[in-house]
Amino acid sequence: MNLNELIILLADDDTDDRIFFKDAIAELINPVNFTAVRDGEELMQLLSNETKKLPHVIFLDLNMPRKNGFECLAEIKKNKRLKNLPVVIFSTSFEQEVVDLLYDNGAHFFIRKPSEFKLFKKIILYTLTRFIPQNIIQPAKINFVLTVENS
Amino acid sequence: MLKSRESDEDELGVANKKLVFQNEEKEKRAAELSIANKELIFQNEEKEKRAAELSIANKELAFQNDEKEKRAAELSIANKELAFQNDEKEKRAAELSIANKELAFQNDEKEKRAAELIIANKELAFQNDEKEKRAAELIIANKELAFQNDEKEKRAAELIVANKELAFQNEEKEKRAAELIIANKELLAFTYISSHDLQEPLRKIQTFVTIILENENENLSEKGKYNFKRMQLAASRMQQLIDDLLAFSRINTTDHKFENTDLNLIVEEVKNELRDTIQENNATIETNELCFANIITFQFRQLMYNLISNALKFSNPAIPSHIVIKSSIVKGSKLNCDRLAIYAGKKINEHPGQESFSPEKNYCHISVTDNGIGFEPHFSERIFGVFQKLHSKEVYAGTGIGLAIVKKIVENHEGLITATSELNKGATFDIYIPAD
Repeated sequence: MNLNELIILLADDDTDDRIFFKDAIAELINPVNFTAVRDGEELMQLLSNETKKLPHVIFLDLNMPRKNGFECLAEIKKNKRLKNLPVVIFSTSFEQEVVDLLYDNGAHFFIRKPSEFKLFKKIILYTLTRFIPQNIIQPAKINFVLTVENS
Repeated sequence: MLKSRESDEDELGVANKKLVFQNEEKEKRAAELSIANKELIFQNEEKEKRAAELSIANKELAFQNDEKEKRAAELSIANKELAFQNDEKEKRAAELSIANKELAFQNDEKEKRAAELIIANKELAFQNDEKEKRAAELIIANKELAFQNDEKEKRAAELIVANKELAFQNEEKEKRAAELIIANKELLAFTYISSHDLQEPLRKIQTFVTIILENENENLSEKGKYNFKRMQLAASRMQQLIDDLLAFSRINTTDHKFENTDLNLIVEEVKNELRDTIQENNATIETNELCFANIITFQFRQLMYNLISNALKFSNPAIPSHIVIKSSIVKGSKLNCDRLAIYAGKKINEHPGQESFSPEKNYCHISVTDNGIGFEPHFSERIFGVFQKLHSKEVYAGTGIGLAIVKKIVENHEGLITATSELNKGATFDIYIPAD
């Protein structure tokens, strides 16, 4: 599979962040396979529609109204059909305890949103390339947090 | 048995002859007997006279005999009576003898007892005297006690009033403390949430700035570009402030889990993290064999990180940076002595508000000493305040939270931290945390 074939799903309540993400994707690859939703409820509705093809990777914000990222992650990992979907946490803040908890709950990667657009693009590209091989399993904990420095 | 008649006539002739002879003889004998008879008659008469006399005498004697027999019988009876009485009296005498002995024994016993009672009586009399004396003393003492009792009751009444007042004040203080705890928690939650939420818009400002600089670069004047760069700097400084503030508030909100940890490991980890800075500064970090300490590990790692990075940051540019880290277990009593010795040479107001150590407890004393630029001694308290800086941010970057976090961490360990320095003569940070 190449990058343009990756089906990407973003759940983020922040309009600016959705635009940043969309712009970044548009500059990197063909954005035709990119979808963005505004909260956890919308995300779970979309995923539960069995007629739609499942994404290859979900980028998940943590602080969202109605249903937050933790709840979504837990629901996905509990659902037989969805549990193997790779979830990348995409968050503004970084707290070790929260990061540990997310890893234990089955997330694939954790990214702290960079404040420079250039770095924003860089980290997204780096993350997407990780999903070119099929059926990526959860990495070792030491590789869980993706940073601009190690990308 | 029949005999013949002839033999019978023979025998009769013999017998006749014999009878004639016997007859003759008997006549002779009769004559002699007549003489003897006469004699005998005489004698008989005589004997009859005598017999009569004897008969009279006999009768008299028989009478006397009867009398005597009666008398003897009476005497025999009397005798038996006396013998019986005698027996009885002997028995009685024997009983009396026994009773006598018993009484004599009882008498002896009673005499002994009486002697004892006399002695006991004297003793009691003596004791009685003593008790009377004592009673007199007790009466006096009692009066004294009654007086004291009155005084104490008065005092107790006063104390009850004072106590009620204190209890009331205590309650007020507890209420106030409870309010403060709640206010404090709210304040920490506020600091945490606000810092957290402030990151979001700030990051967006920074991202938009970078997008504009990237995409609109040719449309901007030089002045415009410069202003955008200044805006970026201000934003990144604000981000640093928020990050530090968040770190500071996190020190309070995180659950405290104490572990017995090797301080050598902590220092090694921090040295690894700061490897690049250490190389840039050409710095050496010297540690002796550090001890184990009961600490909140991740907080102490942060503490070491802040102290060492501080020492590197404020190094003297003229000489290579040299940092010495030591640790030891010391008794509180020794620390109190040392502290007094230090104060003896200094003005007390240079070290206000120093708590003393519990003399019996052991403390882990950790010191971090550098050869950097140091600071004037009167700043030794102020440097631990939040946002307190001794240099402008143009000279030394930073938000002034690093040492505040260090102090907070030490306080979380119920410990004490002091800083000692003179300008351009390096600085020493001494940390004391309970080791038991």
